[in-house]
Amino acid sequence: MKTLKTILFTMLILAMLLAACQPAAEAPTTEPIEATEPAAPTNPPAVQPTNTAVVAPTAAPTTEPPQTGPATGGTVIVGTPQEPTTLNPILAASSIDDALTSLVFEGLVEIDENGNFVPVLAAALPIAEETDDGGMIVTYQLLPDVKFANGNAFTCADVQYTFDAIMSELSQASTSGYSQIVGIECPDALTVVVTYEEVYAPYLRLFSYILPTGAGDLATLDTWAFNRQPYGAGPWMVESWTAGDNIVFVKNANYHEAGKPYLDSVIVKIIPSREVGMTMIGNGEIHVLWDLTEADFVALDAMSAQGVAYAGAVTGENELLLLNFADPAVDGPADPAAAPHPILYDLAVRQALQMAIDKQLIVDTLLYGNVRVGTTVLPAGTFACPQEPSTYDLAGAIALLEGAGWVDADNDGIREKDGVRLSMTIATTSGNLLREQTEQVLVEMLRQAGIELVIENVPSDTLFASWDENGMRKHGDFDILLYTTGPGPDPDSHLFSNYHSASIPTADNEGSGSNYSRYINADVDAWLDDAYGLTDVDARRELYCNVAAQINQDLPRIYLYERLLLSGYRVELQNFLVSPGAMDFTWGSQNWWLKP
Amino acid sequence: MTQYILRRALQAILTLLVISVLIFGLISSVPGGIMSAYSENPDFTQEDLARLREKYGLNDPVPVRYAKWLLNVLQGDWGNSFTSKRPALQEISDRLPNTLLLMGSMFLVTLAIAIPLGIYSALKQYTFFDHLLTTVALAGQSLPTFWFGLLLIIIFSVLLKTPDGKPLLPSAGMMTLGQPFNLLDRLRHLILPVSMLAVISAASYMRYMRSSMLDVIHKDYVRTARGKGLPEKMVISRHALRNALIPIVTLLGLDLPNLFGGALFTETIFAWPGIGRLFFDSAMKTDYPVLMAVLMVYSFLIVASNLLVDLVYTVLDPRITLD
Repeated sequence: MKTLKTILFTMLILAMLLAACQPAAEAPTTEPIEATEPAAPTNPPAVQPTNTAVVAPTAAPTTEPPQTGPATGGTVIVGTPQEPTTLNPILAASSIDDALTSLVFEGLVEIDENGNFVPVLAAALPIAEETDDGGMIVTYQLLPDVKFANGNAFTCADVQYTFDAIMSELSQASTSGYSQIVGIECPDALTVVVTYEEVYAPYLRLFSYILPTGAGDLATLDTWAFNRQPYGAGPWMVESWTAGDNIVFVKNANYHEAGKPYLDSVIVKIIPSREVGMTMIGNGEIHVLWDLTEADFVALDAMSAQGVAYAGAVTGENELLLLNFADPAVDGPADPAAAPHPILYDLAVRQALQMAIDKQLIVDTLLYGNVRVGTTVLPAGTFACPQEPSTYDLAGAIALLEGAGWVDADNDGIREKDGVRLSMTIATTSGNLLREQTEQVLVEMLRQAGIELVIENVPSDTLFASWDENGMRKHGDFDILLYTTGPGPDPDSHLFSNYHSASIPTADNEGSGSNYSRYINADVDAWLDDAYGLTDVDARRELYCNVAAQINQDLPRIYLYERLLLSGYRVELQNFLVSPGAMDFTWGSQNWWLKP
Repeated sequence: MTQYILRRALQAILTLLVISVLIFGLISSVPGGIMSAYSENPDFTQEDLARLREKYGLNDPVPVRYAKWLLNVLQGDWGNSFTSKRPALQEISDRLPNTLLLMGSMFLVTLAIAIPLGIYSALKQYTFFDHLLTTVALAGQSLPTFWFGLLLIIIFSVLLKTPDGKPLLPSAGMMTLGQPFNLLDRLRHLILPVSMLAVISAASYMRYMRSSMLDVIHKDYVRTARGKGLPEKMVISRHALRNALIPIVTLLGLDLPNLFGGALFTETIFAWPGIGRLFFDSAMKTDYPVLMAVLMVYSFLIVASNLLVDLVYTVLDPRITLD
């Protein structure tokens, strides 16, 4: 007994000592609040004329310069249920990694809250020129007098270094686009000339972060101390990172926008869950709650009295129904014409499906009217292509089905044709309440048109499994899927991988590509191929709009509603914005300030 | 005795090997995995994906990967976390003090509640107090941890406030941000998670203590002690309690690995940066070097504590000999 007691006791003492030795977060000193000059317009001007994307309603106006001007000093605490794995953008793997690296790093071109490309470390958006041999040259002018947090000047050499880092052996960044760069030259310190082997239309999306030269030896990338203690040209630098608990960012004294950031520090706190996060933001324990979803609207509205608001950005993604053109019994067919889906290959059925769905009702009842109904594959940003919304017309849907030979001969409420019952399965990720509710509403709506939907949900790992893991989506083993996808700020890769016939996953291409409908349209293929070879944004947009219109005719997918990237924040936090780009809620964090 | 320990150690090594094969096999057969974060992203080219698979060593068949892992571990290299790139053992050692603090406090509180109450309940068998205690214990043992934790948060962090409108007790984390280390603050953060764990485990310890005490006080040697004219206090503490504690020591010994393993639910609910949460996060990301390290250390501690309990028995109870 004595032995055991001693052991127990020693362990306890040890534990307490060890815990006490843990580095506690340094106390950021809160400076007395001073009123400074009236705020200049805080958002970088959108240089490019674009179709306007709507930023979701925010509960409090945040971008208006207040009369007293921004107060300086103070600390904002951000709650996130996920801990980032790294703060080095070329190792980043998840959206929280991407968002938090944007506190530390800025890029040549980034994406603003409306989904538009804007210059940040570049003086203006770069100019692209096609060369005679089919290549492309993109020239950036860099902002002068920019310094990294360690005091080194930001020059063209840093752009070269960033490129080398991305292309290095241990990099975990996507090299798409970068892999076509054959050389980067520096005619002078502030001019960057990037030469591409061939025309790479989405060139604006590249260089969205710049690493400082000398961040480390690229051969030992994985073990850099820089990965957890990085510095860049962004408004913040890392002071400490307590694993599993918090990360303290303090202001970069060398930040290039004079007088900014207004705050002294930003602390990122790892919280247990969104639910607990909601009580914490209501209590004022945190100022920002990252990564909410449309399902949180009820709770958010109820908390407005406690000083909680939300900001959202249209991401360009839609919650959608993905319809399978091919026979689910056939494993990964390359051409649905050879193995058509017994029901969904018929355009009339797909049209009837869309007409029988009251999208507005779904938005009003399940999303409290806070989002827009889905109309197009390209709803927002530089390449937005608005399309006519579909009309809800139950009688029309029924007439279409009757005309196509689908009748209810046995009077069981569900139509048949040639012995095939108009009954299909719908699958989504299990455990997602909003999606499950959406499915139930859809079942009810379609039943009125004599269409039966059978809900067969699966865990997300099963739904999104790869070809090698026998993924149902990759192999085409489904009728209808419900999930979210959509283009980023540059739609090129999304449109190609989701709607081009070359992106149908088959055994021959080892299941690459995301054209799960197995949709084939020669015009769409041609428009996408042509757009890829263009540098002119307007000309590309025109081709993409052709694609968007054609998709709405052929209906490989039915867009239900537009998704938002949402974060909650306390109303005393000013200038809080969300960008649909990788920077998410950290976009414009240099402009944040706390209203006393 | 030495021979016995040697034999058990050999068995332990074999057991651990089998465990490692099983766990490795299980983790490898989980769908998704580290690559799913990339393969869904249309910006990642086939070349990017191939390069990443190579970097993570996922191109080898599972048995080869296992063999490589085992060889490295035998040389003391547990590998680097897939996600944070830091050594798996460093990830563990960063969080170990937090878990030891949480679980150690929990054990102390549990014993401080359970042992006196268990004894009292046994001595006053079938009184009102005994009935009350056993009922409360049964209720405590039946509480779902997850639900109970949320209930504590709702009561103490949402409904109850300090006079200046702040929550009475913090709902998450182990320190108030932006303040230097402060013992009082640390204790405040400990109250909710420790209460959640202690209420539930004290309930079961109390029931064991009660029944084991009941068992003992009707034994002949206790009657003898009373017959000798010893005061009742002495009878209970010297003769009854020592024997009644044997099963409790077994339980404690078998619970010891939890000092390391932490409490998955508690750490997840209260954002306590310990091993339980590390395990949960790594499992969600299929970060197998960290998962393997946590599970193997945990398995080792379970095997070791079983052996320890058997050895402690011989000390506590001279009737037991090990061969």
